[in-house]
Amino acid sequence: MPDSSSPAPARGAPGTPLGGFGRYAGPATLILSSLADGPKHGYALTKDIEQFAGLRLAPGTLYEALSRLEGQGLIEGLESQDRRRPYQLTAAGATALRAHLADQERVAQVGLGRLARTWGAT
Amino acid sequence: MTSPALERSAARLLRWYPAAWRTRYGAEFTELLLAEYAERPRSWRRTANVIGSGLLARLSGLGLTGFGLSAADQARASLATLGCAAAAFLIFGLAMAAQLAIGWQWAMPHDPATTSGLALMAAGTVLLLLLTVLAAVPVAWGATAALLGRGTGGGPRRRVAGPVGFVLAGGTALVAGAHHFQNSWPGTGGTAVHRGLVPAGAAAFSWASTLSVSSYWAHPAALRAFPAPELAWMALSPLALLSLAGGTVAIVRRQRPSARLLAYQSRLAAAAALAMGCFLAGAGCWVFGQGSGRAGLFHAGVVDVAGLAVMTVALAAAARAAVGARRGALALAGRG
Repeated sequence: MPDSSSPAPARGAPGTPLGGFGRYAGPATLILSSLADGPKHGYALTKDIEQFAGLRLAPGTLYEALSRLEGQGLIEGLESQDRRRPYQLTAAGATALRAHLADQERVAQVGLGRLARTWGAT
Repeated sequence: MTSPALERSAARLLRWYPAAWRTRYGAEFTELLLAEYAERPRSWRRTANVIGSGLLARLSGLGLTGFGLSAADQARASLATLGCAAAAFLIFGLAMAAQLAIGWQWAMPHDPATTSGLALMAAGTVLLLLLTVLAAVPVAWGATAALLGRGTGGGPRRRVAGPVGFVLAGGTALVAGAHHFQNSWPGTGGTAVHRGLVPAGAAAFSWASTLSVSSYWAHPAALRAFPAPELAWMALSPLALLSLAGGTVAIVRRQRPSARLLAYQSRLAAAAALAMGCFLAGAGCWVFGQGSGRAGLFHAGVVDVAGLAVMTVALAAAARAAVGARRGALALAGRG
């Protein structure tokens, strides 16, 4: 659990691990979430993300995000298997993903709460 | 399509990426593309996405995006790209400013657009040259130290020896050639009339060193009337400029400056982008607002509009590179 006594980082600010990804924050979150249950190579990532998010990442976008995540030390490449290289989450990546998803959860809770108060429960 | 055909198609797309990227990700990316082809043989969206990503990866290598490089590499690549952009900007800018400065020695411009345009261009040039000197001193010092073997082993010397040779050869050829040709046209320098905003010698030297930026290339019949040595200079001087600028950029990319020096250079880079903006404002003021001038001395032609377009692109690249250099320098200092 995040330490509530420590000051929270600015949401989406370039200083936060995923905040600085700009338009790649979306693909980065999807990739990290996909790798959260174990290593996957490029095509397996594409299929998994398509299944749980209903969104297909194009090859160029996928590898741009992969190379950026790898450069930031949030994921790492494993030994290639028949030219397919699996990637796995690093400890830093797991921490960044947890913090990012907690942020998103807070925003979702605020939005859903306000919707419920103003527009009523569906 | 057969499997070799798919492989060839994937290989063609892969060529949009820089070599370093292909070395690292090429095999696995090809596998992904082949898997995608098996599922959906044709997709223009996928092709456009891969081409766009490849170009973006190339821009990253030039330090024009915030990703793909370490902080130090980012700062160095951005500074080198800014150097290239500034060189292209100066070549076209000096060709334009020299034309106006020489015209001013013969007759005062009567429209404020030309007067203020040249004043802004002159201020931008002085600032750019001052910043170039301030940036060049530590680079030259580092290159000299590497050549004299003050580094560890012979690595640093080998890294900078070639580029230093190009800088010296290009610089010498440019100074000697421009000095030789600067008074070869009656309009330049040789006038006894000492008027104008820019010293006659400086204007003539700028004119001769950028003689290759000329609309005469579009008029072969007129070119044939030029003296052979001048034609040769017009054709060969770009090589001297390329050698000088390319050598300097290679030195910047191959040096390993300290974080403090990179921070200093990144501040100069931001100032250089501002100076280029000042110059471009002046050039735009003249090209779009120029009056008739006397005897066509201050007339802006197609070559000037083309020059303005090149300078605009160069300024955009320089501004982006200045941001990249600052970001890299700050990250290196632990404040990014």
